[in-house]
Amino acid sequence: MQIVVGVADLKVSNKEEDVIVTHALGSCIGVAIFDPVARVGGLLHFMLPDSSLDPAKARDNPFMFADTGIPKLFRDCYALGAQKPRLKVKLAGGSQVLGGEEHFQIGRRNYAAVRKIFLKNNVLIDKEDVGGMRARTMFLEMASGRVWVKTVGQDNLEL
Amino acid sequence: MSYIPQILKSLKNLPPFPMVAQRALMLLSKPEVSIQEMVEVVKYDPAITANILRISNSAYFGLRREIHSLHQALMLLGTQELLKIIIASGATRLFAGATPGYFPERQGLWRHSVSVALMTDLLARELSLGDRAMAFTGGLLHDIGKLVLSLFVEKKFTEIMEVVLGQGVSFQEAEKRVLGVDHAELGGEMARLWDFPDRLRLVIMLHHLNKRQGFGDDLVQAVYLADLLVLMFGQDLSADGLAYTGYPEVMQHFHLRERDLQKVLLQFGSAWQEAQAFFGLMGNINGVQCSHR
Repeated sequence: MQIVVGVADLKVSNKEEDVIVTHALGSCIGVAIFDPVARVGGLLHFMLPDSSLDPAKARDNPFMFADTGIPKLFRDCYALGAQKPRLKVKLAGGSQVLGGEEHFQIGRRNYAAVRKIFLKNNVLIDKEDVGGMRARTMFLEMASGRVWVKTVGQDNLEL
Repeated sequence: MSYIPQILKSLKNLPPFPMVAQRALMLLSKPEVSIQEMVEVVKYDPAITANILRISNSAYFGLRREIHSLHQALMLLGTQELLKIIIASGATRLFAGATPGYFPERQGLWRHSVSVALMTDLLARELSLGDRAMAFTGGLLHDIGKLVLSLFVEKKFTEIMEVVLGQGVSFQEAEKRVLGVDHAELGGEMARLWDFPDRLRLVIMLHHLNKRQGFGDDLVQAVYLADLLVLMFGQDLSADGLAYTGYPEVMQHFHLRERDLQKVLLQFGSAWQEAQAFFGLMGNINGVQCSHR
């Protein structure tokens, strides 16, 4: 079954027949994790780097922010039997507009936020397709743990 | 080789702008609009009246009591809100065709246009710009040039993309270099043919801020910024991605910092979900999860 992850949303699965997908990541980032032994995986689509922007909204929906969404992604996968050392971690998104060095950096900040959280928690990123100016759609195939990125007018890219 | 003659020729077959929306546009520039004038605009179009009631009762307005009549909607929502609904619902027919040069999905341009309308509206509120209905309409119609240019962009897409990637310019600038005219200029021309109010025509023509003149009107800058924010938010899945030029001057002009943009995006996240009734004016659009893809 295809499971769609909306904006500021998270879906996890342990069912082989599932494909988890999130559409049209702009500056947002999709984080896919997968444990090939437990065959558990999840896909988070977060919008913004830091929940200090609006703690009330973050309590309401932790998936809006990197710092509240990422821990939840890992915890929900642990709850289904995933183990941290086995997890494969892949990222996509974080695009930018041209010439926005100073003011239009939300994509880059989102990416920096993920890196910081992972560094602090000893998580390695296995593969990523981040930055640039493309709008990406990201898939996590539960049967194989493979992650795909699709961009309009271009070939699919496997991460 | 320039495509300008061919592109201009295709304007000869331009359909008329939907009449109800046209009449509502004329009311945009009036300082005061009476209830009677509003009723006159919509009374001969039962479909629009139905849309007004549906949207008035949707989550977007969050009214506690149900609205049963046009009159009641006018009293409770006011003319500015009602003008938005009338223009959006009158303009749907225009956006019914596919624009494969820009969007792989049939309703891609409609979704993008409604998103920018909602985002401009939100910015206008945050920045106290006034003219909320004009802001919404500017956002809704900013990309009408794509309706016509899509055909040509589709043919020359690879070439345009090569210019974007090779020369590091925006997609709109690359259109201009490859086709001789870009969707903003063409949209301005269409607005002239359709006799739009002058301010609206300028918003359409200048919304990429590639001409200095664009910096002269708050509304142009608001639509520009809204367009950019909608691209950052994602969800539209357009072929040109985020190949837009960012102008920091706009941030200075509105005294905005990046953190403010983050807040606007956050608000848009909720507004966008509540506004599904606007997206749904076209019909066949599923819920917020975009499950139709």
